[in-house]
Amino acid sequence: MQPFTYTMPRTVAEAIAAFRQAGPDASYIAGGTSLYDVMKLDIVRPRHLIDVSAIEGLDAIETGRDQLRFGALARMSAVATDKTLLRDYPVLAESLWKAASQQLRNMATVGGNLLQRTRCLYFRNGTGNPSSVGLYPCNKREPGSGCAAIGGLDRGQAVLGQSDACTAVSPGDWPVALTAMDATVELAGPDGSRAMPIAELYRLPGDTPHLEFMLQPGEIITAIIVPKTPAGRRSTYHKIRDRESYAFALASAAVALDMDGDHVRRAHVALGGVGTRPWRARAAEQLLVGQRLTPESALTAGRAALEGARAGKHNGFKVDLGARTVADALMIAAERSA
Amino acid sequence: MPAAPFAERARFDARDKVLGRTQFTADIQLPDMLYAMSVPATIAKGRVRSVAIDEAMKIPGVVRVLTAKDFLAPIPPPRGATGMAAAPAVPTIVPDIAYRGAPVALVLAESIEAAVQGAEAIQATYAPSASFSPLITSEGAAREPSEPVKAGNAAEAMARAATIVEAEYECPAQHHNPIETLSTTAVWSGGRLTIYEATQGAQVVKANAAKSLALDPAIIDVKSSYIGGGFGQKGTAQRQTALVARAAMLTGRPVKLVMPRGQVFHNATFRPLSRHKIRIGADASGKMVAIEYDADHQQSRGGQFPPQYHESQPQMYGVADYDGTTANVRIDTQAPGYMRAPHPHPASFAFEGVVDELAYKLGKDPVAFRLAHDAKVDPVSGHPLSSRFLNECIAQGAERFGWSRRSQAPGSMVLADGTQVGFGVACGAYPAITSANIARLRVSADGSTRFAVSAHEMGQGIRTVIAQALLRQLDIDPAKLDLQIGDTSLVPQHLTAGSWGTASVLPAIDAVAAKMKAAIEELLAGRQIDGNLHRKLATVRRPYIEVEVSTLAPGQEERALLGLRAAGYALAGPEYPAFTTFSYIAHFAEVHVEPRTRRVRVPRVVSIADCGRVVSLRTAVSQVRGGVVWAIGSALREETEVDPRFGGWLNNDLADYVVPVNADIGDIDVSFIDRPDPLLNATGSKGLGEVAMVGAAGAVANAIYHATGRRLRRMPIRIEHLL
Repeated sequence: MQPFTYTMPRTVAEAIAAFRQAGPDASYIAGGTSLYDVMKLDIVRPRHLIDVSAIEGLDAIETGRDQLRFGALARMSAVATDKTLLRDYPVLAESLWKAASQQLRNMATVGGNLLQRTRCLYFRNGTGNPSSVGLYPCNKREPGSGCAAIGGLDRGQAVLGQSDACTAVSPGDWPVALTAMDATVELAGPDGSRAMPIAELYRLPGDTPHLEFMLQPGEIITAIIVPKTPAGRRSTYHKIRDRESYAFALASAAVALDMDGDHVRRAHVALGGVGTRPWRARAAEQLLVGQRLTPESALTAGRAALEGARAGKHNGFKVDLGARTVADALMIAAERSA
Repeated sequence: MPAAPFAERARFDARDKVLGRTQFTADIQLPDMLYAMSVPATIAKGRVRSVAIDEAMKIPGVVRVLTAKDFLAPIPPPRGATGMAAAPAVPTIVPDIAYRGAPVALVLAESIEAAVQGAEAIQATYAPSASFSPLITSEGAAREPSEPVKAGNAAEAMARAATIVEAEYECPAQHHNPIETLSTTAVWSGGRLTIYEATQGAQVVKANAAKSLALDPAIIDVKSSYIGGGFGQKGTAQRQTALVARAAMLTGRPVKLVMPRGQVFHNATFRPLSRHKIRIGADASGKMVAIEYDADHQQSRGGQFPPQYHESQPQMYGVADYDGTTANVRIDTQAPGYMRAPHPHPASFAFEGVVDELAYKLGKDPVAFRLAHDAKVDPVSGHPLSSRFLNECIAQGAERFGWSRRSQAPGSMVLADGTQVGFGVACGAYPAITSANIARLRVSADGSTRFAVSAHEMGQGIRTVIAQALLRQLDIDPAKLDLQIGDTSLVPQHLTAGSWGTASVLPAIDAVAAKMKAAIEELLAGRQIDGNLHRKLATVRRPYIEVEVSTLAPGQEERALLGLRAAGYALAGPEYPAFTTFSYIAHFAEVHVEPRTRRVRVPRVVSIADCGRVVSLRTAVSQVRGGVVWAIGSALREETEVDPRFGGWLNNDLADYVVPVNADIGDIDVSFIDRPDPLLNATGSKGLGEVAMVGAAGAVANAIYHATGRRLRRMPIRIEHLL
């Protein structure tokens, strides 16, 4: 890890000004639970850190109006335990408390969480750094160097959205739930403020896997907006992983259901752990509309959600597991009272 | 006469640990200390061509960088040396790279941050070997037969068998991952080298540092006060010690290295991948009559960790005819070594799996099948087994577990939501080994007591055991009892491993207490003085009495003490002159397998151990719980993985080397037979820490078979194997 300067602005405008002044080697930092990690692994080498965590008024959780609004600096632990969310939008609360550990959730922010880096082993362990030891080619880390995960130990790699250049999984849980729930992110930057549907925040790797987010230099996430929907109560975030806690998803599903008796009026379905970005499963959603929800129809929808999946050497099981995870999530959500 | 049961006692060091006062080796801070960071090789095999240090030296705070040219060739072992003394010195920094991650430089700096930054700035160039063999299936892997273990004539007995089951099991490479990683602090002062190292073998470290650095062992002291987890990784000499010691000698300043976990994965000893081909034959009545068992494991090119997978299997079930063969498969990796229950854990996973397969094939209840195979005699030595209460463990365990609620057919126990339930049983044994010991006790009139003895505290609770036994024998003040262990400057230190710590320290305590009582009796010359020993000494105005003893294992010769003094190695057992003895355990596991996503949960385990007399119930229960937790991790979670295109270990951190978390662990119900071994030592205590884990992974795998009908013969068993 190389030395860096450190500033702590008090307003969004000050933060953006600090970024403009610092130039391309600058990075915003909030909770630091992801950035410090990849800095220690020598994957990113910012020379200037602009700590936005002291900006006032950016951590509010607003659920009382016609939409849900989360300030980017709200802690994961605070949002995970919000009483309105727990009752009316369990998919959102669960996606947070099934992520990381309590200590990390106490530090990490819901805005920073959207920009978490992949857990691909070749990406993380490949710089030859004294901590990580390995030396592996990685197009995401070093464009043009190749992808060691392809043809390697790819059990954890993506089966949806991967390219010949990169198969790294998008690691988040919260972004998957937000994707299912049609969230929007609010951004501020040198050229002013704008809003963007969360689905547009994430790029597919294509042949430029080092470009992950549709953010302009110096842009900062200020808030996350989720439209209110009656489907929120019948929702869940179902996460399957190699241990019960403190692990990333092998496959996860964020689902929310608007039901008419035992028939589906509208479904929200997104997957994590299987795609190179949070994966909205529109085909599965459409298939469910008007259907009676049974374990069989749920599994059919799950299979539709994994349509187009392509497996590598060791991750074929994720195609099947992803479908089953969606199916179980749908049944769990349907059990909940509207 | 065997000792009476011991009363419950709180951990000797509990209060200090809870208050954060306990100083672990990695916590040490010394004035003027330099921080070191090792630089790992980034090739799998080859030779270092150059190491450029200029950029590193420019970093503020970097003081010096050591490379291969700063190290001397080690002294070869003395002529005629055997055992540990003959083992080659652990390499220092050498130009030849035998495995990815081997150190190519050591950066010394005024702060840890500067040391890390300096290490990142080192530029090494290499001449990589044209090829390397990272897996046991790679080209260039060399299979090399090792010691067999045989009893009777297994081929003849197998030919008469009415039913035969044959299967191959595999256990992956695994790493220990103690919370405290490898850590060494060295001080070179006044012509003496003092090494503070988190080690289970202070004498081993001393002997090896002397060899690696061409020093006289007489000028080296090694101190290991508290170890933040050892599990066998800290029992053998590791790569970092001599580097740090040399750095202290060259700079004249204390030097400390806490090796990053990724480098520990690559440099430290680990549990090698092992393969187990087993055939068991049963006669027409369903009695096991013949066992053929071939085991091999991955080995480094020069490694010495033996494939002794027949350490306890021949004695399990009274089968007279046993043919056990072994082999090393030499590849390009760092040396594997001892990890908790080194051989019996993987061996029991395989063996107890095949026993289970045979029970099902014969249509027999796996508990009743095992109970029908009690043993009285060790078929290998012909000796009687001196205390064996395995059947008591199985019977008590079955009762506590509620085994009678089980239905025999696989897949027959299903909850309302479709979750499959399985009950599994498996057993284990571990050799009861004893080390020679040397102890010195000083009781003072001022109320203090100092007891120096051979032992190391890895968290297993040896200080609690020592206090428990010593305080039962002597009327001394427990509040001012100083237990000095793991320090070669006081008494020679045995390698504390293999579950011999307790059984080796108890005879020394008996002897030293008897000698102290005799000395005080002689001092008092018939006078009756009330009060404890301190009061007696004060009354006769004697500042202190100090006594020293040495003790030997049953049948051990006096010269064993030479081995203890030289390299901390003076072991006997489990075959003693007239008897053989083991510790035993029976584990029962319940598993739940989800209907759709196939996650495996282990809501409860019942474990009953026969470790002879239990000295400290609290730490004993904790040992067994820890062993079961690790076995669940082994059965369902842990594997260190190699990408053969690159070598090295890919998942080299705690995020991706998946150990169990609290949420993975259900109820673990532990109890003990607590019957003394009549022959091993006066207390009747055998060992526990290793046997705790043996068989528990097998119980989980056998339960998964019972739940699902799928016989999974490779650890870890994961979701994809059950979809």
